[in-house]
Amino acid sequence: MHAKSLLGASALALSLAAGPVLAADTINVLVEAGGHSLQQPIADQFTKDTGIKVNFVEVPYAGVYDKLSAELAAGTSNYDVATIDVIWMAKFADFAEPLDSLFTDKLKADLAPALLADSQVKGKWVGMPEWANADILFYRKDLFSDPKQQAAFKAKYGYELAPPTNWKQFEDAAVFFTQDTNGDGKPDLYGTDVIGANPEEWMAEVLQAGSPGVVLDDKGNVIIDNAAHLKALQFYTDILCKDHAAPEGATQVDWGAAQNMFYQGQTAMMKFWAHAYRQTPADSVVAGKVGAAPMIAGDAGIAAIPGPWYNIVPSTSQHKDEAKKFIAYAFEHNALGIQAPLGLAASNAAYLSYEDKPGYEHFKPLLETLAAPATKGRPLVPQWQEIVDQAVTPMLQQALSCKADLPTLLKNAKTAIQGILQ
Amino acid sequence: MSQTRFAVLMMAPALLFLAVMVAYPILLLIDNSFYHVELLKPAARTWLDLDNYIKVLTSQRLADAALRTGRYTVFALFFELVFGIVAAVFFDALGARSRWHRTVFALPLMVSPIVAGILWRFLLIDQVGIINYGLAALHLIPDPRAVSWLGNPDIVLYAVSFPDIWLTTSFVALIVFAGLQNIPRDVIEAARIDGASAVQRFLRVRLPLLRPVLAVVLIVRGVDAAKTFDLIWIQTEGGPNFQSEVLSMNIYQRMIRYGDVGQASATATVFLAAMVVLAVLAYRFIWGRSRNV
Repeated sequence: MHAKSLLGASALALSLAAGPVLAADTINVLVEAGGHSLQQPIADQFTKDTGIKVNFVEVPYAGVYDKLSAELAAGTSNYDVATIDVIWMAKFADFAEPLDSLFTDKLKADLAPALLADSQVKGKWVGMPEWANADILFYRKDLFSDPKQQAAFKAKYGYELAPPTNWKQFEDAAVFFTQDTNGDGKPDLYGTDVIGANPEEWMAEVLQAGSPGVVLDDKGNVIIDNAAHLKALQFYTDILCKDHAAPEGATQVDWGAAQNMFYQGQTAMMKFWAHAYRQTPADSVVAGKVGAAPMIAGDAGIAAIPGPWYNIVPSTSQHKDEAKKFIAYAFEHNALGIQAPLGLAASNAAYLSYEDKPGYEHFKPLLETLAAPATKGRPLVPQWQEIVDQAVTPMLQQALSCKADLPTLLKNAKTAIQGILQ
Repeated sequence: MSQTRFAVLMMAPALLFLAVMVAYPILLLIDNSFYHVELLKPAARTWLDLDNYIKVLTSQRLADAALRTGRYTVFALFFELVFGIVAAVFFDALGARSRWHRTVFALPLMVSPIVAGILWRFLLIDQVGIINYGLAALHLIPDPRAVSWLGNPDIVLYAVSFPDIWLTTSFVALIVFAGLQNIPRDVIEAARIDGASAVQRFLRVRLPLLRPVLAVVLIVRGVDAAKTFDLIWIQTEGGPNFQSEVLSMNIYQRMIRYGDVGQASATATVFLAAMVVLAVLAYRFIWGRSRNV
């Protein structure tokens, strides 16, 4: 009797110890500020529908990578979902639960091909797109619709002034709008900006020029010195160095500076992430005068570098089922986040549900740009950040000094990247 | 209980704290520096002998970063000392009336380096920087785009030190002011009676007596400036083309952004050793000599 009791107690203890993890009533989501505001309305609805609470742990941009890395390295994590930038996908792929079951044919049909491609690392579905961004063309509607400007442009270039759709038109418009408006002999309006601190705008032009990939091809070969990269670098630097159609000091111009210049009325056009359309400050001189168009096209057509963020389930999550449930729900109810300040989504359906609403005129150009055949994500290799920091950005900044030999720069960058990848 | 045992007992909490919070992390850093360790897979370590150190000591990139660290430190420290000493002498001359001046002067100390970095970035940046508009209005430069503070590779390293100087000059001033207050008035009075001019009294009497204070300032601020990270990172991320990259930035990138714990640890160990040697030399040279004054 005594032995039987002991056995029973042991069996009960074992079953408790080895049994499934109890269903969670709360899941923790690691996210940066923009992603938090996008996902909060979705989480609120999710909690109402399922009873599972969602606790967001909001950190600054770099904090997502730092915190997740530290927790994964420690082997334990409080996070059941992490919303990560696409450039970290390859780093975290080995530490993420596969999401294969979530990628149904219906879901795949609702995503731009480039976003779908970035969801997989080495054939494994690692992340679910939560929102996606891409560079589109912003332009000053007041300048482009000004009859005087239109007449002067036509007289100079022989065709109607309109938001540019290709490299030639973009360069013409950039040169044309570089104007001395106060008669002091120096331009105070520039056609556009040239960004030297972030290479994504140049990379978009690499794809527009017809390269099969940016920096690396699909097999991992370094192709930064191919003809398309050179052509794009020539075009990118010409705007500054040959045409003088962008403000000096391009090496220090980052996204923030480019945005500031446009909002201050210093530039007539800006190739920029689409979310900025709804962020024009009310007191800006360009408020109410901003138009949006698809990204410009090169020989290979329209192309951009997508900037999506993905929800992943870290392998250390204690509540994987609930985490996957939230991720699937977040995609299905993707449009709920569009009212948030960042105002973005990932699914075509979410974007289409808003594209005709006033204030969301940038969605059509964004969708067209994201869906363009030449649009392609950055290579999903763990060393990507190092490649950008150590080889690509320095190369671009040297090119924007307007003194360097571009083929030599690309060749040197290739050698540096090969060293990083070894 | 003997006096020695009592002293040991009283020191034990501090020693325990130092052992756990300082000695252990440093030993871990040194240990990691001999391995290939990936941030995300710390358990999978590979012994590399001295490979990491060979890479560090033969890397032109790191040598350049070390040189820049030195130039940045000397530049920032020089102006912090000059401005700080001038301000302290001014406060000392004002006496009790300097209370408000000191309070206002100390305000930048309350600003977080990240905030200061962002603030100065927008003050200096070419296209929208207020500094250049001010200089142009004063006709010191021909137009607001004439000087590219953060974009010109020749001056960027010095430009990124402006917020450092702005933030910590007040710290130097307050320490030196406290030092000036502690100089016996009769010594200065004696020099005055002996016919020493104000400049002579400062150079021959006050400055030598300030030596211990200056040693503290030099060591504390020197080490602090040498390991500056956030101020520069916020302004330029080391660019353009690495021209404002200092050692701490390189260590951060390698450790956190690229996950190469081993080589980052080797660089940090070399950096730490160099800082200790410099601090000991500064201590001996300045403080040691001050004992003989």
